[in-house]
Amino acid sequence: MPLDYKRFNGPEDSISYKRFTEDYIKSYDQLYQELIDENGVRKDGRAVDEARKMFAINDVVTQAKGSAYIELKQTKVVCSVFDPREIPHQNEFSQLGQIYCEVKFAPFSCPRKRRPHAPEAEERALSVALRKALEPTVCRHLFPNFQIDVFVYILEHDGACLAVAINAAGLALASAAVPIYDIITACTIAVIDGKMIMDPTEAEEHLAIMSPETQTNHGLITMSTLSQLRQITDFRQIGSLDVDCVTKAMDLLQKQCMKIVPNIQRVLVSNVIKYHKERKKLEEEAREREEALNKKMEEWKLLLNAG
Amino acid sequence: MADLLLSSTEKIFIVHGVQDDYRSDGRSNIDYRPMELETEVVSHASGSARLRLANTDVLVGVKTEIDTPKPDQPGLGKIEFFVDCSANATPEFEGRGGEQLANSISNMMQRAYQSSQAFELKQLCILEGKQCWKLYIDILILESGGNLYDAVSLAVKAALFNTRIPFVKAVLMDGGNVDLQLSDDPYDCKHLDVGCAPLLITLCKIGDKCVVDPSAEEESCSVISVVVGVTGNTKSYCSGKEIDSVKSLERKCSTIGMNGSGSLAPQTLQSAIMQGMVAAESLDEALGQALLRERQENVILKKHAYGFLK
Amino acid sequence: MTTNSAEGIGKICIPGMRLSPYNKDHVAGPGTYELRGYIYSSLAGILKMEVDEISKVTIVSVESQKTPSVLPRTGDIVTAKVTVVNPRMVQCVILCVGPSILARPYRGILKKEDIKANEKDSVNPYKCFRPGDIILARVLPMTEIHWYHLSTAENELGVAIATAEGSPQGVSMVPISWSEMQCPKTLVKEPRKVAKLIPENLDQELLPLENKQSNKK
Repeated sequence: MPLDYKRFNGPEDSISYKRFTEDYIKSYDQLYQELIDENGVRKDGRAVDEARKMFAINDVVTQAKGSAYIELKQTKVVCSVFDPREIPHQNEFSQLGQIYCEVKFAPFSCPRKRRPHAPEAEERALSVALRKALEPTVCRHLFPNFQIDVFVYILEHDGACLAVAINAAGLALASAAVPIYDIITACTIAVIDGKMIMDPTEAEEHLAIMSPETQTNHGLITMSTLSQLRQITDFRQIGSLDVDCVTKAMDLLQKQCMKIVPNIQRVLVSNVIKYHKERKKLEEEAREREEALNKKMEEWKLLLNAG
Repeated sequence: MADLLLSSTEKIFIVHGVQDDYRSDGRSNIDYRPMELETEVVSHASGSARLRLANTDVLVGVKTEIDTPKPDQPGLGKIEFFVDCSANATPEFEGRGGEQLANSISNMMQRAYQSSQAFELKQLCILEGKQCWKLYIDILILESGGNLYDAVSLAVKAALFNTRIPFVKAVLMDGGNVDLQLSDDPYDCKHLDVGCAPLLITLCKIGDKCVVDPSAEEESCSVISVVVGVTGNTKSYCSGKEIDSVKSLERKCSTIGMNGSGSLAPQTLQSAIMQGMVAAESLDEALGQALLRERQENVILKKHAYGFLK
Repeated sequence: MTTNSAEGIGKICIPGMRLSPYNKDHVAGPGTYELRGYIYSSLAGILKMEVDEISKVTIVSVESQKTPSVLPRTGDIVTAKVTVVNPRMVQCVILCVGPSILARPYRGILKKEDIKANEKDSVNPYKCFRPGDIILARVLPMTEIHWYHLSTAENELGVAIATAEGSPQGVSMVPISWSEMQCPKTLVKEPRKVAKLIPENLDQELLPLENKQSNKK
């Protein structure tokens, strides 16, 4: 791993102190029992098919053309979108515009390890996945030879970070008035021991990727959809699932994606109303000022005529 | 991917052909092109394979090293994939040109091999918590004529099948040091169990239909393709008396991903995954047969050696 | 879907919303796109249905409160500021496309032969533009990656605002002919390719051209 030598790094063979605590290496079964009890209730009190509540606002970064912040309990993501700019080092003509995505973890974002300052493989893979999801969403024919920048910063990571990043990017693009075909929503599902677990936390994701001793289904799926057009823009699965399981998960994910849409819509509509009110207020003020000025002028005219 | 110059009429010709299940090279939508596979081609690697799928040429070498396992996975070995897009394939790969493609292929492979149901990393363990084998899988793309993902995954599986790991005895000494003892006989080694290693199947959406094994021309007619990683069946890779002791495993998806800038309807994705499973089954069986035959030939008659770049 | 007319805003649209069927009476305007026989919104904003006077076609468009992130397209009229003038061409930065102000300036280029409609060979760029002039131009098809090619070869296109050499800031010249402008303060005359500006709220009575056409019909 490339180290950033401008910062203080620990000795090369240093290990987190947590490694020596008792609950560092837990068996698969132990972890499983901890996360999901016999009644199918998860550690944070949710049902297996229940997603976390979403908080979303836009226009949080004033410098950006459009921006969004989305929070799913402990997963917090900021995204900003900038206007088309020239593609650096490009020497070929392209009819379609490009989308440049950069996903970055805050150094303190992950519970397991400190994120290095330099970009690493996982961040790069997330950036590619985000671009793949956004490419079919944006009307790219409107800006040939230029690129739109989408920057995502993951402040805290507690599972489903790609899905949240896609949701945030979709909201940010819409609030930046970048022409898009449809609102894009995404969500993640984890399969542990054949059970479908909607919107997993980081611990649940970790368990889903961990391989069980038995041949049961396990894995993670993230899917992003365009709800109105009924299209899937990205689908990535990891783990080991049979086809029935994938099909079932796809149905659940589609339903969950549809559930997110009204949240995003509400934010956008309230934004339009807010802008409209602001503009109305400004117009009102301008009119009042003009009236006052006109009145003054009439007064002066009278005075002049009298004098 | 290497951009081809195709006129719109040529593209329409290809799309119409796919629609009628009759492609420009005479195949139907579910046919693969002829393949050539050779193992044991690089003498300095622990295992190697070269696959030629029509105009796509891939060379894979497996190098082994001894490493310490990750603290949270003390009983598992390590496996890493590196893809190098040679500028011989197309001048566009010169410098950092092929980096994006190489990254996406190696990411896909890494994800496909992630589950223990796809590749058992336990077999790479030497001494739990102390020493394990690390496999470096170097993939060289010598020529790109479409369908790189499938060709790479086939070649990797063949190279892993061909890989030999020496028997090592590890003893824990005083003070937590590890003493490794290696046999004097260079032929004293074991083969890896790669029967369930996954194959990647690319399904390219052209018009309304999905085709397997797209050629470079067909790839340029399509905006979206689905890559499905399907685990193999150990039974196809066993010969003789072993075959009865191994139970047949169900094929599963070990990874699914999408490539290209387009999007898909949910039904299309579902049918593409199904189609991928079917294609993977026949491909995996054929690969198993070819590899077993190759191994037998290597043992019985000394293989006639010739340059691998025929 | 979401519409809110209670507060007198009009219909609020969000991306992906189906607005109307796409047929010979309805045309997709800015902020919308057409797919499989319907017009959808591509921006978050307020719906506008305008009927074109001449063709009687309803133009469906969505007006966003923010400037949409669109680039100049071929055929658009842009407002640009001249930066460099040399004997072969004029370089400028594009500031506005039609009525909307761009968030980032984009580079434009105006070749010598695209300045005037006639006498193309004898055009001297120095006698048409000076750095700092604000010009109106039409976007030509894109042939270079990051440069927009422009043209002023129309009567209505050319210099709109210019300041004469030596004049105080903010005093712009007044056109006195199609090729000359004069400063009202210093009375300096300078050569320019002057645009024949048409006021925005033009009275229909004053437009003999349009009237003639309608009379013919």
